[in-house]
Amino acid sequence: MKKYAHIIRYSLVFTVLFLPAVICGQVEKQLTPADIKQQTIVTEPVTLKKGFLRAGTLMNYRIADKYFTDKGEKEYYTSNVWGSKSSYNFAFQYGISDRLEVEFATEYMNSRQESQTSEFIAATNTTRTVLLKQKGTGIGDSYLRIRYQIVPENRHRVSVTGNISVGIPTGEKNPTDIRSAEKYDLPVGSGNFTLAAGLYTRTIIYPYSFTGSVNYVYNFSGKKKFNVTDIVEKEFKPGNIIETSVGINLHLNEWIVFSNEINYQHKEKGTINDHYTPLMPLTWAVSYRPGLVFQVKKFRLGESVTIPVKGKNTPADPLYVVMVQYVF
Amino acid sequence: MKINSYILAILFILPAHFVYSQPELNKRDKYTLLTMPYNMRPLTVYRGQVQLDAGYKFAIRTHKYDSEGKSLFLNKTGTGSVYHYYYVDLKYGLTDFIELGAQTNYIRHGVRSESETYVTASLTAADRVTVNKINEVKGFGDILISATARLPIQYKWFDFSATGGMYVPSAEYRQEKPAHAVANITTANSYTVNLHYKYTNGFGVPVYLLASQAKFTLRKYSLQTELTFRTPANEGTSIRWEENLVEKKFIYYDKSYKYLLSDEWDVNLSIHYQATGWFDIFINSNYRKTSGGWTEFWGNKYKNRETMLITLEPCFELQISPSLRVCQNAGFPIKGKNADAPFYLFTTIRFSNFPFFR
Repeated sequence: MKKYAHIIRYSLVFTVLFLPAVICGQVEKQLTPADIKQQTIVTEPVTLKKGFLRAGTLMNYRIADKYFTDKGEKEYYTSNVWGSKSSYNFAFQYGISDRLEVEFATEYMNSRQESQTSEFIAATNTTRTVLLKQKGTGIGDSYLRIRYQIVPENRHRVSVTGNISVGIPTGEKNPTDIRSAEKYDLPVGSGNFTLAAGLYTRTIIYPYSFTGSVNYVYNFSGKKKFNVTDIVEKEFKPGNIIETSVGINLHLNEWIVFSNEINYQHKEKGTINDHYTPLMPLTWAVSYRPGLVFQVKKFRLGESVTIPVKGKNTPADPLYVVMVQYVF
Repeated sequence: MKINSYILAILFILPAHFVYSQPELNKRDKYTLLTMPYNMRPLTVYRGQVQLDAGYKFAIRTHKYDSEGKSLFLNKTGTGSVYHYYYVDLKYGLTDFIELGAQTNYIRHGVRSESETYVTASLTAADRVTVNKINEVKGFGDILISATARLPIQYKWFDFSATGGMYVPSAEYRQEKPAHAVANITTANSYTVNLHYKYTNGFGVPVYLLASQAKFTLRKYSLQTELTFRTPANEGTSIRWEENLVEKKFIYYDKSYKYLLSDEWDVNLSIHYQATGWFDIFINSNYRKTSGGWTEFWGNKYKNRETMLITLEPCFELQISPSLRVCQNAGFPIKGKNADAPFYLFTTIRFSNFPFFR
């Protein structure tokens, strides 16, 4: 054993010398700007990096078929009105710093309501056909949003991001082009300013990301015509809204993400001329939103369906969303 | 001498060991089979492969074709509607050439008719009775049990298969008791009647299915054709609900009637382009025709209307992971007769695996 003592000694010296080299040899992967622009919704930073610009559009489509009653039961709309609503939301996000992001969004609305009913008048033994044709197209409301990483995710396992947004009523709020009580153009805007604040939290355990958010929307008062026969605008105030959501996003492969979100929204009663009105009842809804998001380099394409699960005084029809985004 | 014998024996055995130790090229590597591109796949699943499809179709019925093939726009009269169609299909490869399958569906569809208002006027008042009507179809469909056999050859550029199956009337098709209601009563003779008829899904009788498929591949391009025929095994008996409105309350009674389902022909022709190993893009054309059959009304048999519909479907199939694929198609009605003509989006998640193989 003594014969090999020097060999053991040399081995020990080599081990001591080379061990730090082995340990320090593992380096953190440095992401280039091109890598960052190609990150998916799971791996991307919560807010855009400084100097980056993201432009995107969301296309929403919904048909009016069923709704949740005030007892929470899902029922068909009884009268034969065909109603469809689609909106094209255009959003631009810019990273002011690695933690601060600003976003401006506006939308183009396209709503339609059509119906045909027959009226049999016994006294004159005649039939009258009543045609209802309404459309609402044009620029809707706009939003300005600021997001800031309060607890940045590069230092902590869980990130917390705060956001404040202002809703600007840029859309037409009153019925226009009134030809008759049945034929006119629908409003495309809400007619009141909003102020919203919220928190968004996220953690990434690759290939998953877990998200949670809470948001409160305060509705300011506004003035608008609720019926086509209204001569003057009425003062109104929609109920304030609280929204919460939890989500799990999963990387199916390196460039496809399966997103899942459960959302709860509660809206208080609204008033017209300081009186509660059946036109703006208390509403709440629980919905599930599965989606697929494809990341092809800097280009992102996503589709999702918001499925209302439970609710009160809200539409019960799925909302289809197609998303296209590009990072410059 | 004894040692020499042992050495000789070892030298004799070892080469054999080396020769046979080379593993056989594993043709049944499950990841290779699971990620097999469409243009290299046979018409049936592989031996031991389980394939589960879960699909959702959202259809918007904004127009229909009348008996002369003229398109009628339903959204203009407010009688357009939507379908929510859910679909599950399970396939198992008994061998590389025989596949067993089972499928069913769930549908939810409400069709509104044009509302009618009846106005009677007297010297003192005008009475208005408005009638709204909705026909709702909701529930699980029958379960189709099928078996498919394909040519016992390795797929290279041509394949042919034949399928036989039967829809088991598990949905027990039967009209449910309606849920009519009287609402908005403003005066004794002014109110709204909401008629709500409820139908279930399914055929109500066993229905046979016969089908054949053929597939041709030339490099990245493939052509697939499919012919399906469905015919009822026998006449069916069901009930039809009728009602009387007495003092704003409905009294229901049912009447039995017989029916014979129409025969149905379905032809599909699709052209595929395998853009990369994980992306197959294709266009499918579908021709559907029904003929024959009758339905009994008040003791008389009336022939079912013949229907026809041609639909064009741009589609894609995307391999997400070895065991997961997503298929999506959009359907555009082109031509038809006596048929609803919905535009639809159909998304299917396809899960495949070999549960009994390592």
